[in-house]
Amino acid sequence: MDLLTNILGAIATIILAFVVGMSYGGIVRKITARVHNRLGPPWYQNFIDAYKLFGKTTAIHHGWMQIMGPAFLMVSSVVTLMFVPVLNNGGWFTNLNFKGDLIFLLYLMVFGPLGMALGAGQTGNPNSAIGVTRGLSQMVGFEIPWVMALVALMIQFNTTTITGLMDVQQMSGTWLMFSSPFAFIAAVLAMLGMFRYSPFDIVGAPTELASGPVSENGGKFLFTMMSSGSIFSFVKLTLYVDLFMGGADNLIILLIKTFSIYMIPVLYGIVSPRYRTEQAIRFFWGWPLFFGILAILYAAIF
Amino acid sequence: MEIIYLIFILFLSGAIATFLLGKVSKRLRDIAFITTLVVPSVLFFTQINIGQTVDFSVLGIHLSWGITNFSYIFAYIVLGLGVLAGIYAVAAMKGKENLGFFFFNYILSIMAMMGILFSRDLISFFVFWEIMTWSSYLMVVFTGKDVQKVGIKYFIFSAIGAYAMLMAIVITYSLTGSMMISNLIFAFPDFEFGMQILIPVLLLIGFGVKSAMMPLHVWAVGSYSHSPMAYTAVFSGALSKMGIYGMIIVMAGLVSRIPEGYWFREVIAWMGAITAVGGTLWAVAQDDAKKMLAYSSVAQLGYIIIGIAIGTPLAMLASLFMAILHGMFKGTLFMAVGAIEKQTGTTNFTEVTGLIRKMPFTFLASLMSIIALAGIPPLGGFIGKWMLYESVIGSNHYLLIIVIFFSSTAAFLYCYKFLFGFFLGQEEKEWAHVKEAPAMMVVPMVILAIGTFIFGVFPGLILNPIDAGLQELGYAVTQGRYWEMSVLFNEWGDTVVLQPILYTILAVFVFFLAFVLTKNFKKTRYVSTKDISSSGEIPKEHENLTFSRGFFQPFLRSVEPLMRRKIDPYYNSFGRGMEAIFDFVRRIYTGNGQTYALYVVVFALLLLIFKDRLWG
Repeated sequence: MDLLTNILGAIATIILAFVVGMSYGGIVRKITARVHNRLGPPWYQNFIDAYKLFGKTTAIHHGWMQIMGPAFLMVSSVVTLMFVPVLNNGGWFTNLNFKGDLIFLLYLMVFGPLGMALGAGQTGNPNSAIGVTRGLSQMVGFEIPWVMALVALMIQFNTTTITGLMDVQQMSGTWLMFSSPFAFIAAVLAMLGMFRYSPFDIVGAPTELASGPVSENGGKFLFTMMSSGSIFSFVKLTLYVDLFMGGADNLIILLIKTFSIYMIPVLYGIVSPRYRTEQAIRFFWGWPLFFGILAILYAAIF
Repeated sequence: MEIIYLIFILFLSGAIATFLLGKVSKRLRDIAFITTLVVPSVLFFTQINIGQTVDFSVLGIHLSWGITNFSYIFAYIVLGLGVLAGIYAVAAMKGKENLGFFFFNYILSIMAMMGILFSRDLISFFVFWEIMTWSSYLMVVFTGKDVQKVGIKYFIFSAIGAYAMLMAIVITYSLTGSMMISNLIFAFPDFEFGMQILIPVLLLIGFGVKSAMMPLHVWAVGSYSHSPMAYTAVFSGALSKMGIYGMIIVMAGLVSRIPEGYWFREVIAWMGAITAVGGTLWAVAQDDAKKMLAYSSVAQLGYIIIGIAIGTPLAMLASLFMAILHGMFKGTLFMAVGAIEKQTGTTNFTEVTGLIRKMPFTFLASLMSIIALAGIPPLGGFIGKWMLYESVIGSNHYLLIIVIFFSSTAAFLYCYKFLFGFFLGQEEKEWAHVKEAPAMMVVPMVILAIGTFIFGVFPGLILNPIDAGLQELGYAVTQGRYWEMSVLFNEWGDTVVLQPILYTILAVFVFFLAFVLTKNFKKTRYVSTKDISSSGEIPKEHENLTFSRGFFQPFLRSVEPLMRRKIDPYYNSFGRGMEAIFDFVRRIYTGNGQTYALYVVVFALLLLIFKDRLWG
């Protein structure tokens, strides 16, 4: 019975993440279009796309690694989702929240992109591989301020778990965004790279790389990747809300908080052109790194 | 007769027998080689009890051999990897010349490493250390390529290390009057301050050379990439761990017992961190797999050194766990490179591509080892990384953690390069004939790879002996406090529970694999890597779409300032300076009797001038 409840809860979480992630994607497309002074697709366009891709049959493949690529990507998204608390009081969405900590999560989050990169590698499309190398390089870039922000939180509150940091916020009544502001700034700057909107969209780079790693994938492969991407962006947003904005007591508050934090990379991206790869990497070793160091100093001294 | 003697006699006689049988029959030689590795290993694990020692005297010097819980950990690495790489070596080296010599040296290395682990006194420790150095030196020059450049470098650094160690041993003897390691540890806190610093420094130079710690690492890359890959698996996997073994004894036995130990530890930890970052960045820049893995070994040993230097129980667990895991996955990777070299004749990423369908088992083993190397759960590498990070954060090394994180994230780059460069990408006609390596080469690799998986889910299997070893070094019991069979704890009590994680990962993976495959998957067909949409056009047969040159160019461009710092030029200019001094000294001997007469006069004058100072 216990196991059954867990599995049902996990499925509910996945469906929630899928629906919210997909809708956010659609809304972002709409917002981008309005800023560009276009009409844009309806907000549910992503669901239509997903349904279309889901219905298509697969005609060709390049080998086993390509088939396993999307599965790896999905593993990373779903398992990460299991570890990030969706709501403050858990309930149905508890899943595996107490079984791992932030450092574990950091490593789990790269599992998918690497697996996907292997799948993309087997297709033999040079654009895919170039996209992958760019993505990995950029990851080295934004991982530094991101880890600095997390380390600052960990040493300030002597815990490495997300639930522990959420408890801290519940107890003190202030969001970590205010009690450790430099860590928040560093994390938000790192977030720009994590979400891969412009100017950090060097991986997909529409006009340069013909969508990079996902090229050569269609039908169910692309559907899996697309859903995984949606789930993953939901996970990342929830993680930010959990860490810096005191988590959420119910789904409505969760939606408001995640959406408002989602607008940071989106709105920054809409008005920005694309960086070259080395610029994108070095961006994170400038001001974000500075704020990361400030965060650690702040945490170590206070 | 004592089993301990028997093991060494078997190793020695086996080595000689293998060498001599090589002149008679190849098959007999191979059998003798494997037997010589397997029989003493079986004897060791079944007949030797921990704590059992033998004492004897040679030329009036009291020697003592015995195994402890702590050295038992390293015996797993040496014998486990030694046997598996030995089986691999038989197939990998088939058809090469002078194999009797190769096998002889191989057995001698294993014997020397076991000897180091058995030594309870500094004399036998030093003797075995030298045997190990010599046998590995002969392996480095085995192929006969660049002997001048690579061999001499390894030789000089080994010699420096050996002399430093010898000096420490002599000083110890003069201070304590005993050669026993335990006496040194016992008497150390009572030494005067200068000696308390000098002895660890000298010993660490000796051990630092073997474990390729910055700035003593310059020999490592050339030597790892020049010895035959079958041996490099042992060289990087086990032999470098002897440096770690000694370093742990120095740090835990000596340095931690003096009040100045804190600063000592900080310096070593930062040297380890610089080793890790430098090694990783240079690994990313390599186009040759051997060199890349060699740099990667340097970097990985950097992590282990950091853990040792921090020295909290969790950090020590992390270091020893990583030491064992590094032996496993780096051994596998070097073996995989050896397999590729044997099947294709090259190890350069810019030449070989698309081997995944030709060498699937090699790919599988490499993939698992790479995942372990990158430290991604659920494979074994993650456990060590996690423990290291937690211990670094828990011991308030805030900047160190960032440096380590940078280097381990950058490690993903070369991990991907290894897999993509060899196995993925365009399949070229040039390599269409390539076949999977012989079973004798594949099986050891796959066994080691599966091992990394098992230890990733049940780390308690190796943490148990490590715990026993650490207790011997004076640490408290760690089981239940930092780990259980498949649960990890950090200093604040936060946990990672490994089994549910594994089951979730497997369940989701299988579900989505099935999801992608169901519904008329049978109708899908395999198409070659030429059948792709490259910017909307179908590429022609002759078009070259291989992407392997300048793989991480933008990344390397952005970290270029870090990579400008190299130690080699300093060593070179030091070498040139020494040459100039030697040249000057040579000029003193002009061969002219008049000059020598002048020297005598000058010397007499100097004596007169400083007469008061000298006899005053």
